[in-house]
Amino acid sequence: MKLVVGERTYEGRAIDLADDPDESVDRDVEITCPDPGPLHEHVGVITPEYTIDLRSALAAVARSRGISAPQDDLRREARRRLAAMSLPEVETGEARRRLARAGDSEERLRERVAAARGRLEALRERSAPEDEITDAQADLREATRRLSEAETERIAARQALDWERRAARRARDQRRQRLALQDRIENLDRAARKSLAEAVYDEFADAVDAVPGEGTTGSEPGTYEGDPITAGLGVARIATLDGPVVLSIRRFPDATTAARRLEVPVVRL
Amino acid sequence: MLLVVTYSRGARGTLRNVCRTHEDTIVRRFGRAALFEATHLGAFLALRLREKHGPDVQIERTRPFNEFADVPERIRDAAAAYERRESPSTPYPKFAVGTEHPALTEMREGEL
Repeated sequence: MKLVVGERTYEGRAIDLADDPDESVDRDVEITCPDPGPLHEHVGVITPEYTIDLRSALAAVARSRGISAPQDDLRREARRRLAAMSLPEVETGEARRRLARAGDSEERLRERVAAARGRLEALRERSAPEDEITDAQADLREATRRLSEAETERIAARQALDWERRAARRARDQRRQRLALQDRIENLDRAARKSLAEAVYDEFADAVDAVPGEGTTGSEPGTYEGDPITAGLGVARIATLDGPVVLSIRRFPDATTAARRLEVPVVRL
Repeated sequence: MLLVVTYSRGARGTLRNVCRTHEDTIVRRFGRAALFEATHLGAFLALRLREKHGPDVQIERTRPFNEFADVPERIRDAAAAYERRESPSTPYPKFAVGTEHPALTEMREGEL
């Protein structure tokens, strides 16, 4: 491992920058080391604010050793089925808008027919001139014709919406199946993580005893009690890591001690 | 009331948050579905959910169910008579034979 900061170059399995006089200044750091792996997501950097999802971290350690979970076949099959699902897109918004518009038109025209009828009757009652009555009759006929058209359109819009709704129901059946499958996958994943974490838990418990910090490990991953940093150090110790763990905590007297105790390369800040 | 049903994890999660934040407008929640009050706020919340999750949200409107206004007497009588039947293990089709009660197939075709 090689690290260059400013004009200084550091080399080795344990690099200590904690006493570097330039540490307080933001500088570019160039590091040459093996690439980080999936375990570095869990224990790659440990700061005073460190938190850990212990079950996931232990499961990752188990996976890195090639341990598989009894649920793996089911998980793979469920994911395959999920990927194979194709969901039809069904949109009923336009059909609803059409029906609403048709209903409004019909109502407006119904009122217009009533008004035209009223005007005609009023004209007849006061024995208005023949041509006025004829005009009013024509108006009524026209309004009635348009109302009839609007009724037809409203009925057609209603049928179209009913058809769309039936299609939407079928589409939703598929979505419900997808949701059930996703829930199943999440449950299987959780069960797998639990199995995997249990496979390395005893080893982890021993490791917690060997690193600085307080932590009580019961018999299974859910029972760990203690600060997350101790747990992280325990995980680092049982993990096989080629790339370094970065520590900006002061639990160890120096980087060399940390690297020896954790059995991983260390950069200490 | 407005019935809001979700069909994806995202929509389900958003519904859960809405129910927590707007307790007054939520009449009842059943996991991935809920009943909202039929107010402008209820409609607003439901429509917001659909704007966010599209086809993964279904919105329907409920009506109070008045069986005396909406359901023919024959149907009501059949339901009551069947519940009062002598032997609990008799299925409805068998129970209805030789009576005035409507058959299941007939009722299936009848719209409320």
